[in-house]
Amino acid sequence: MASTDKPGGDPEYRTSSTPAPAGVDYFKFDVILRFLLFAASLVAVVVIVTANQTEVIRVPQPVPWPAKFRYSPAFVYFVAALSVTGLYSIITTLASLFASNKPALKTKLLLYFILWDALILGIIASATGTAGGVAYLGLKGNRHVVGWNKICHVYDKFCRHVGASIAVALFGSVVTVLLIWLSAYSIHSRVPK
Amino acid sequence: MEGVESKEREVMVAKPVAVVGVCDLLLRLLAFTVTLVAAIVIAVDKQTKLVPIQLSDSFPPLNVPLTAKWHQMSAFVYFLVTNAIACTYAAMSLLLALVNRGKSKGLWTLIAVLDTFMVALLFSGNGAAAAVGILGYKGNSHVNWNKVCNVFGKFCDQMAASIGVSLIGSLAFLLLVVIPVVRLHRRT
Repeated sequence: MASTDKPGGDPEYRTSSTPAPAGVDYFKFDVILRFLLFAASLVAVVVIVTANQTEVIRVPQPVPWPAKFRYSPAFVYFVAALSVTGLYSIITTLASLFASNKPALKTKLLLYFILWDALILGIIASATGTAGGVAYLGLKGNRHVVGWNKICHVYDKFCRHVGASIAVALFGSVVTVLLIWLSAYSIHSRVPK
Repeated sequence: MEGVESKEREVMVAKPVAVVGVCDLLLRLLAFTVTLVAAIVIAVDKQTKLVPIQLSDSFPPLNVPLTAKWHQMSAFVYFLVTNAIACTYAAMSLLLALVNRGKSKGLWTLIAVLDTFMVALLFSGNGAAAAVGILGYKGNSHVNWNKVCNVFGKFCDQMAASIGVSLIGSLAFLLLVVIPVVRLHRRT
């Protein structure tokens, strides 16, 4: 029974001299995590794009003063980065689903997944940090700089939307880190000892 | 001939599990120095300027010495903290990698796991400092946050240099995540 060796076949179908392939089953988790990343990016983008609030400002004259996400370049970058992440995650979810029956494709795909996942981790982490920094400034203001006052006591709905969006993006960064760990573990388990 | 060949094959097989190569050590050293430089440059960043403040129209403007320091802005504090964490981690992992050349699998796994975490941390710190820096350069007319860098030019320039240097450190950590995996993949 142990002599049925596929010539040049995948590590999974080798004989018992190599360890049982641990990386095969984890593609289910891979697809689930990638879909979670897509959902998180989508939710974050939608929540921050719909953060609109208009309040009447008394000084210097009573005028309605709107607050939108595109008034801050940091939030614009946040939306752009999360859109890229959402697009990437839907493409890789589909690729992962497509490759779930093709073992030969899986190992090559794992390498590409890790490379691109690392790049996307950089993008989504920097977007979270950027928006978080500016949002914290809007929440607390800065008394050292003249004129940088907090705005969240006036624009509470806007700040709630932005805060929720950043929290969801943070969850997305955690999911991306988990994806990298999963792919690295899968590659590591396929190395013939 | 055959003896030499078999010896070559033996040498090739008996090569240690090359999970820690020279490339890794060099990258860790680069990451350590670069994050250290970024942290130091921002920590010594200080500028004092006499700013004329008009209290009321009747009095002449008062010259108030205002100091710009990194610890006045939470985003810069976060930037310094992430760079300090990355610096100590790079130093510790460099020592561990030198001492433990691929012998202990668990330690290598832990280092690989923490490397990805450091990438995320460093990138987020860079993003926060860059966002606040751009706010200082351009201000935000919608919220009436005035720009600051026309007054504190040296402070802002030093900050920008520090952020650029820390970006190199983040890229070094990114390569540290990617290169061992590529090396592993070649062996599958």
